Amino acid sequence: MGCERMEELLSPYLEDELTEGERQTVQTHIRTCASCAELLSLMRETKESLSFFPEVDMSESLIGKLYELPQKRKKFRFVTDFLLRPSFQPIMAAVTVLLVFVSFYAFHPERSAINRSIERQFKIGFSKVEKLYAEAESITHTLGEYKDNLFVSIKNLKPFRGNEDEQPNT
Amino acid sequence: MLVNAYSKKVFNLAYQFAGSYEEAEDLTQDIFFKLHNSIEKYDFEKNFSAWLLTLARNHLIDQYRKTKWEKKSRDEFNEHLLSADSRSGPEESVMIQENKKIVWEGFNQLSSEIRMAIILRDIQGKKYEEIAEIMDLPLGTIKSRVNRGRLQLAKILKEKKEAENGM
Repeated sequence: MGCERMEELLSPYLEDELTEGERQTVQTHIRTCASCAELLSLMRETKESLSFFPEVDMSESLIGKLYELPQKRKKFRFVTDFLLRPSFQPIMAAVTVLLVFVSFYAFHPERSAINRSIERQFKIGFSKVEKLYAEAESITHTLGEYKDNLFVSIKNLKPFRGNEDEQPNT
Repeated sequence: MLVNAYSKKVFNLAYQFAGSYEEAEDLTQDIFFKLHNSIEKYDFEKNFSAWLLTLARNHLIDQYRKTKWEKKSRDEFNEHLLSADSRSGPEESVMIQENKKIVWEGFNQLSSEIRMAIILRDIQGKKYEEIAEIMDLPLGTIKSRVNRGRLQLAKILKEKKEAENGM
């Protein structure tokens, strides 16, 4: 058996996990191969020194931080739960759309052209509103005149004139 | 309760793996934060300790891949380990003390998966079946990794001893 195959058997040999036949093979090999015998001895030393590694104590500050973690998580969850609840989603969507428009405006390379366009549209809109307001005033005025005429006509109708012609007997 | 029962185990795993006390403190906090966030996913039929160590192992190896700790140096062996070592008793020989130092420094030459297997098996003394569960790998793969890790460390030990004897 070659040394490479032997290397695969060294750990199981140390842990007594080989069959009797394999164990005999390893023992025969290491009697004749100084290199594998040395490796086995070093592996035994390595395994032994690892088993003596002590447990290290944690600092008090770390223990304190670990106890605080659930509280931090609760606060974090309260915020995320509040923001992610279904009734809040339309508002979030509206805010997102608004932010998209704001960022489009804020970072557009031709912002001054957009400003001018907005101003122009605003002026056009304002003059339209003024016109509408003036038309509405004239309609109101016309309706007022119609109303007065209507009242006068109604008053002049015979059934509503009453006893105007009759002179009261004194 | 979780902190009392498991924090030292997780911290030691992180420290042995990363080799830096400060790094291990940060990693332990990260692991416990992940634990609090994923505790709802825990299947009560499974072994909690193995589940937690799987979480820790995944985080440690992920961080290792992101930051490549092998390029960083480990803490000086006597900085924290020897202070804790004073409790280990007189049975330890000078040779074991020297070997421990070499092995501790040699950890950085092991790949993350082999290093984790060696820590769980030879330092923490876990059974191969437990390690296979924690690392989510077949038993044969774990045994092979432990063997390769021991061989690598034994060869490092040999080189260091030869260098010392040659001086």
